[in-house]
Amino acid sequence: MENIMLPKPHKILAVLKETNAEYTFRVAYNQPIDYNQFFQLSIPKVGEAPISVSGKGQGYVDFTIRKIGRLTEGIFGLQKDDTLFMRGPYGNSFPVADFENKNLVVIAGGTGIAPVRPLLNHFVQHPEICQNVYFMAGFKNLDAVIYADELPKFASAFQTTYCLDTEAAPGFRQGFVTEYIQNVPFADFDDYNIAIVGPPIMMAAAAKACLQEGAAPEKIWVSFERRMSCAIGKCGHCKINDTYVCLDGPVFNYTKARNLFD
Amino acid sequence: MTTAKLMANRKAFYQLLARLYEKELSPKFIQQLAHLTYPTAEQNPQMQAGYQQLKAYFAQQPLAEMADDLASDYAKTFLGAGETKGNAAFPYESVYTSDEKLVLQAAWENVTKIYRANGLVMATEMADIKEDHIAMELKFMAHLCDVAEPDLAQQTTFLNEHLLNWTPQFLEDVQTYSRTNFYQGVALLTAGFLAEDAKILATLQRPTATTQSFKLTNAAFDQLLAKWQQRYHVYAPTFTTNRNAKQQPMVRFGAVTQLADIVYDRQSDFSAKEIYYPIMQTLFYFNENNVTESTLDDDKDFLIFMHPCDINALKRTDTIFMHNGAPDSYYQRLREKVKIVMMICTESYENCFCVSMQTNQTDHYNLALEFKTDHVVMAVKDPLFLSDFKHQPTTDFVPTFITKNKGQAHLPKIQNQAQAQLAGHLDYWQTFNDRCISCGGCNTVCPTCTCFDTTDIIYDETSLDGERRRVWSSCMLDSFTMTAGGNRVRKTPGDNMRFKTMHKVYDYKQRFSTENMCVGCGRCTQQCPKDISFLDTINGFHDAFNQAKNETVVK
Repeated sequence: MENIMLPKPHKILAVLKETNAEYTFRVAYNQPIDYNQFFQLSIPKVGEAPISVSGKGQGYVDFTIRKIGRLTEGIFGLQKDDTLFMRGPYGNSFPVADFENKNLVVIAGGTGIAPVRPLLNHFVQHPEICQNVYFMAGFKNLDAVIYADELPKFASAFQTTYCLDTEAAPGFRQGFVTEYIQNVPFADFDDYNIAIVGPPIMMAAAAKACLQEGAAPEKIWVSFERRMSCAIGKCGHCKINDTYVCLDGPVFNYTKARNLFD
Repeated sequence: MTTAKLMANRKAFYQLLARLYEKELSPKFIQQLAHLTYPTAEQNPQMQAGYQQLKAYFAQQPLAEMADDLASDYAKTFLGAGETKGNAAFPYESVYTSDEKLVLQAAWENVTKIYRANGLVMATEMADIKEDHIAMELKFMAHLCDVAEPDLAQQTTFLNEHLLNWTPQFLEDVQTYSRTNFYQGVALLTAGFLAEDAKILATLQRPTATTQSFKLTNAAFDQLLAKWQQRYHVYAPTFTTNRNAKQQPMVRFGAVTQLADIVYDRQSDFSAKEIYYPIMQTLFYFNENNVTESTLDDDKDFLIFMHPCDINALKRTDTIFMHNGAPDSYYQRLREKVKIVMMICTESYENCFCVSMQTNQTDHYNLALEFKTDHVVMAVKDPLFLSDFKHQPTTDFVPTFITKNKGQAHLPKIQNQAQAQLAGHLDYWQTFNDRCISCGGCNTVCPTCTCFDTTDIIYDETSLDGERRRVWSSCMLDSFTMTAGGNRVRKTPGDNMRFKTMHKVYDYKQRFSTENMCVGCGRCTQQCPKDISFLDTINGFHDAFNQAKNETVVK
């Protein structure tokens, strides 16, 4: 019987600095991955944690990691050619097939951009799939802006709104990203989907703002982040009501997500 | 007929019926059906009539026209196409069981959960087929016949609750709306077969007279225990040198070699869980570049002396580890070693409420016994053990179960999403903030708690050689949901108490459509240093929920 808890060694191909606190680790990998899936990354002696895929390409997968806990600090000690242990991918994905020929609104907060980045790049390369893509991203301040070199590319392909919570800077509006949702022309859309990824409070506020603008709850998709020890439905940490985020999520339609309570 | 052969035949018939309903028939398949020899002396009159209709159809209709003819009848009968638009035998359980006659209602949710609990997702090429389509429900029955050890009780439940509950009306409708002898025949055949299958299942489950019982002197029982040591690790509740939260000598499951070691007249402080799901378990060894899976010390099986509550708890831990997502090999490798000696309860202990949780009885054991003062009576259900009793006198011992506890649990009846929200947001839960000290002792002694953390150990600071272990975790600890950076989704002891209680008496059952998780063993109550009784917690929940429900209605 297959041991699904056993991680496998993978080589680190590159380490790319995003901000002072966030680095992207490019790891050798050549299996298919769906949009918004995650892996369990582990560092011997430090432990294991679920990390979203922030990019993928021929022979590699990217993880953008914020130095925030013990595991992520451990990962920051790794460099090119070191070994990273991982297992996955886990979780469901955004219903990308349903996005075809419809408008798409992507609302991301902070590091929440990481899991939607592969999706955004997919639509940059294939502008014919969706009607208009509205990409709204909020960061705390200029120092916290990740993928700074990709933001202009997204701005030329999509209708973008970039904002900073606490600062004014060229190219960015000031204030929370949720304050700008009212600018999305929901009334003009014949059909659309909304993907929201970010901290829980930001996702709740963004979903509320969308509903206020007349968006239908079933058009909204949110992505959850939970503590996990196994990612395969056993350890219990990510359970909410009768739902396991690792097995049933992390992407949930808002009609389901709004009923879950911690 | 052997059981295996019978299961294979039933599986094949379920599969055939499923295929007939799943989609229109291909010309090749029709040709095969046309050339079958149909039984002429079928005992069941409906099945017999069904076969005659099929034969009549194949005799009358030119073979070349059958595919088109049947496709149009299929569309008319099951999809409501053509003149009868809106009037058809829509083949979904939801349509026949919901007041509004709609698809995707409660029945659909329920069967989806059942499939998931069995590790299945629906497989069909037909885009608009839902999980409660008759073809899928028939396929699920075929699946249940196809597993290594068919669970006949599960088959009976599914047949009764998800096929026989709606198909009689549906099949009548098929006869109303279909125009060909073929689908008329299929409907009759289905009705007859399902009724026959219910009878077959009932017969198979009738208690057999194969269980033999023996009377052993205490000395003979000790000899038996000594003999079993060679083949098994023999575990039973036994005294440890520690004391429990109530300052009594602590009883845990440990190795026993003689009758005097076994503590059977009180509830053990820990459950049998720690034998097949150890408190701490090495998953694998690692160095800088590789991981190596851990192995077991030996290949001896486990013979565990358990009360019915703990035997029922096994089913709960099986559900989480084997059926919630892919199976867990670390759990399985120990679980498959477990053989059960059921110690019947002759009295209900202080904190038990197993009768309320319907866990006071079970037929899942290899041997059962009762300790009398100067002898032991044993029922041998598993023939594997019969040779151990060769020279022992037989007796008429039949395991019995207690039918009454001192305390009764009243479970809240939560009927919909709005009521679940109400239940989860009761002020009641926050009353635990001043009582619960978040020690997690309740989770530790619970036979159904399965949560764990993983932790890495390194052998010395200068290298990366070490091992990853998994250790029991506890949802009552304030760190249980803490993510990197220190965020927690549940912040108070009351939130944790609500999470634990609803998991044990609501969420688990919701997810798996089976029994509740709690088995009413009362160990958490016995363990709690703050004297929080879980039985009182459940009953308090029930009362607070009912009160809130009534107030909501009044508003």
